[in-house]
Amino acid sequence: MTRVLVVDDAATVRLYHTSLLREAGFEVAEAANGLEAVEAAMTTPFDLFVVDVNMPKMNGYACVETLRSETVGTAAPVLMISTEDRPGDADRAYQAGANLYLVKPVAAERLVRVATMLTTGKDPAA
Amino acid sequence: MNPLLAQFLAEANDLLASVDDGLLQLERNPGDPELVNEVFRAAHTFKGSSGLFDFPELTRLTHAAEDLLDAVRGGRLALDSGMADDLLAAFDLIRGWLAHVTAHERLPATAGQDAGGLITKLRAPLGGGGESPAADQETPLSVRPIDPPPEWLAHLGTDWLIETANWLATTSSTMRFVRYLPDQDCFFRAEDPLHLVRQVPGLDRLAVVQPETWPPAEEYDEYVCLLSFVVATRAAVGELDYLFRYVPDQITVVELDAAAIHRHLEGEDEEEFAVAAPAPRPDALHVDPELAADARAVLTAAHRTLAVGEPAGTQLVALTASVTAAALALGVPLDLTGADPAAVNAAIEGVLGRAPVEPAAEPPGVDHPVVAALAAPPAPVPTATGAAAEPAGRADDPGGQVGTRVLKVDQEKVDRLMELVGELNVAKNGLTFLAAAAEEEFGSRALSRRIKDQYAGLHRIAEELQAAVMDVRMLPLSVAFGRFPRLVRDLSRRLGKTIELVTEGEDTMADKDVIEALGDPLVHLVRNSLDHGIETSDERVAAGKPPAARLTLAAVADGDAVLVEVSDDGRGVDPERVKRKAYEKGLISEEELESLSDSDAVDLVFRPGFSTADQISDLSGRGVGMDAVRASVEKLGGSVTMRSELGTGTVTRLRLPLSMAVTQVMVVSVAGQRFGVPVDLVVETVRVPAAEMGRVLHQDVVVMRGEVVPVIDLARALEMPWSPDPARDLAVLVVSVNGQRIGLLVEQFHREVDVILKPMEGLLAYAAEFSGTALLGDGLVLLVLNLKEVLGLAARVA
Repeated sequence: MTRVLVVDDAATVRLYHTSLLREAGFEVAEAANGLEAVEAAMTTPFDLFVVDVNMPKMNGYACVETLRSETVGTAAPVLMISTEDRPGDADRAYQAGANLYLVKPVAAERLVRVATMLTTGKDPAA
Repeated sequence: MNPLLAQFLAEANDLLASVDDGLLQLERNPGDPELVNEVFRAAHTFKGSSGLFDFPELTRLTHAAEDLLDAVRGGRLALDSGMADDLLAAFDLIRGWLAHVTAHERLPATAGQDAGGLITKLRAPLGGGGESPAADQETPLSVRPIDPPPEWLAHLGTDWLIETANWLATTSSTMRFVRYLPDQDCFFRAEDPLHLVRQVPGLDRLAVVQPETWPPAEEYDEYVCLLSFVVATRAAVGELDYLFRYVPDQITVVELDAAAIHRHLEGEDEEEFAVAAPAPRPDALHVDPELAADARAVLTAAHRTLAVGEPAGTQLVALTASVTAAALALGVPLDLTGADPAAVNAAIEGVLGRAPVEPAAEPPGVDHPVVAALAAPPAPVPTATGAAAEPAGRADDPGGQVGTRVLKVDQEKVDRLMELVGELNVAKNGLTFLAAAAEEEFGSRALSRRIKDQYAGLHRIAEELQAAVMDVRMLPLSVAFGRFPRLVRDLSRRLGKTIELVTEGEDTMADKDVIEALGDPLVHLVRNSLDHGIETSDERVAAGKPPAARLTLAAVADGDAVLVEVSDDGRGVDPERVKRKAYEKGLISEEELESLSDSDAVDLVFRPGFSTADQISDLSGRGVGMDAVRASVEKLGGSVTMRSELGTGTVTRLRLPLSMAVTQVMVVSVAGQRFGVPVDLVVETVRVPAAEMGRVLHQDVVVMRGEVVPVIDLARALEMPWSPDPARDLAVLVVSVNGQRIGLLVEQFHREVDVILKPMEGLLAYAAEFSGTALLGDGLVLLVLNLKEVLGLAARVA
């Protein structure tokens, strides 16, 4: 199974992303902020991270930086999804180590498409 | 209801509460960056989630509020009371909408209208033509340069354009113009261009543009959209983007001032209206064009990352992996194992060069709506309690949820659980009778003991179950206090008084029924305090007090009760004035007028029909007096007392049982009948030799520790035939009612029991001498006495 961690402080958005990915055959876990995500990533390997930007405790940029740091050291692709779409937001995400930056709300098919593409070689249900 | 919407509504409640709360705090500490951030975040999260649903007004209004908060956060604006008013009003409106959504799954029809005014108000402090810088920045569609002005303006008509240009020149403002060229096959994507255009907010002028030539009638296909639209509107660009968010590539938005329109009018000759369908997307590699776009986006992202820095270690590995994946999606297999950043970059450029290139990075935020996803609800997540439940999972299950596992449960379900626990307790108690019967009727002591053992085990489980369910029902007092910051704020603004609200002991827990029932009495006390108790700032200064009054709501646990105090440092109650009023209203006699102590005089405010306010104001004159407060608190099994000092302030104290679910009663019997008396009223049980019973003024009394205690014959009060056995000592249950000690003459004392008290129903509801019934383990229905009423009866019988 391809494992995805959905990180978002908005429970509704989390549910949206989670249920779409689950339906597509991914195994999904959730985290409500960056800190929880890092904790989860340290105990369980994930194949993809779907990360919000604006979150309490630890925001998305810091979260991705930590995921990429030696402490966690995961090379799994990171998809950042945020309502922020000012110039520079995407660049900040890429510098932090994200692989793709999308603006909310992301259409159902697109989320699944991108998640599948980024985890190519791994059939989500396999 | 769709689980996603249910989740949104549940989450919205919390978010709106924290917005409200934060705003009120912010008003008091306007500079606090942490608070601003908190409010902004809540509003932001709310907007983000609302975008998943088709509630455009909701998103627009939240957006306006968010922009204002963003300006405050960025230090561009200082939050004043007016803005706080508008923000609070906006979130109040939203709360109302959500109630409608909960019932009908859509916004009320008036939403657009209601939101309009508020949006303008919220945008006003940000300056500009009803549009904020933030809105511009978040604009997914770029506003095209205004030079040269687009020729399609001509569709709006020369006269109108001249008129508008003049108006724009006079007001030195700008206006937004939209050209909407619907795709010819838009109907097949369930788009409704006309409907969309009619929704344009602040629509000033609409031109429906027909094709230059219509196809011949025999070739005419009514499923092909041939019309296009030109619109002039006062709506903000952000609003237009939002409205047209599903068809961004069919839309052109420009913002023009008078000069631009004039330029257009001068060059009007070269008109040309080509209604071109958008060019088909290049699809050279026979890859799904949307997938190709996404893959290119990933490659572009990697390219951008490499352009600004040299990723190393894990980041480079991750980047290389995503590049490989994206390239593969475009049909270009790459092997970049161990490649350095330069090599990866070269590979990206190679792939991007070979693959068909999109005009530019696609506009963000234009994704297809979630409507489709809503129509077909996502796969049901495992829920324990239906719609409002969070997806649950074991904490140690990697596929489960990482966050705090909270289950939101319908109150009714917990109530039902509580009822069942009560029934279990009653059923359990039946076992003791069965044990007795086993021994007495069937002569099996062994069986009796086994039943008793079984009972003991069952008893322990039932107790724990009861405690667990009670615990679920416990809520912090902050739930009851939560509404007051807003109430105090609004009322003090209306009354022109400066009031600081202090809350203490908000974490004190009590049963939800108690918390709920506490609401109305508290509101009344707080209103009373604000309206009558607290002086205006001028009066306070004249009296040598600080201009800002202090109103305190405090809660503290006291054994199995909770004490809630409402206190203010206002003018206090004038005992003389109260006595005079009470006398004028005929509530007390002339004799009492002179003899009543000051503290007793304060208590007069609880008498029915009493009000010190000479004129009933719209704040407190709602037909509820302090007598109603006392009555409703006593109905909960609590009591109210008031202390007041003239010139210094008033303290009203409510004492309530922590839980109303289980009541401890003392069982006594008279005339062979058992009755319950609430244990908190019982002072002691005594046996008095008949000879010690005295009589003062037709009233039986006993002297206990030097105090004369009146004794009432319970059987007589209840009109039951029974006389005490003269050979035995009298059993007297001493109770304390309204601070007075009274002895009840009973036949026999029994033990205390925990019962689930049910209110009297139907015809029996009028039997005021009983506060309710409880079912005992042996199946007996125990009547629980309402002592206040019983004492009243006794007085009448005597």
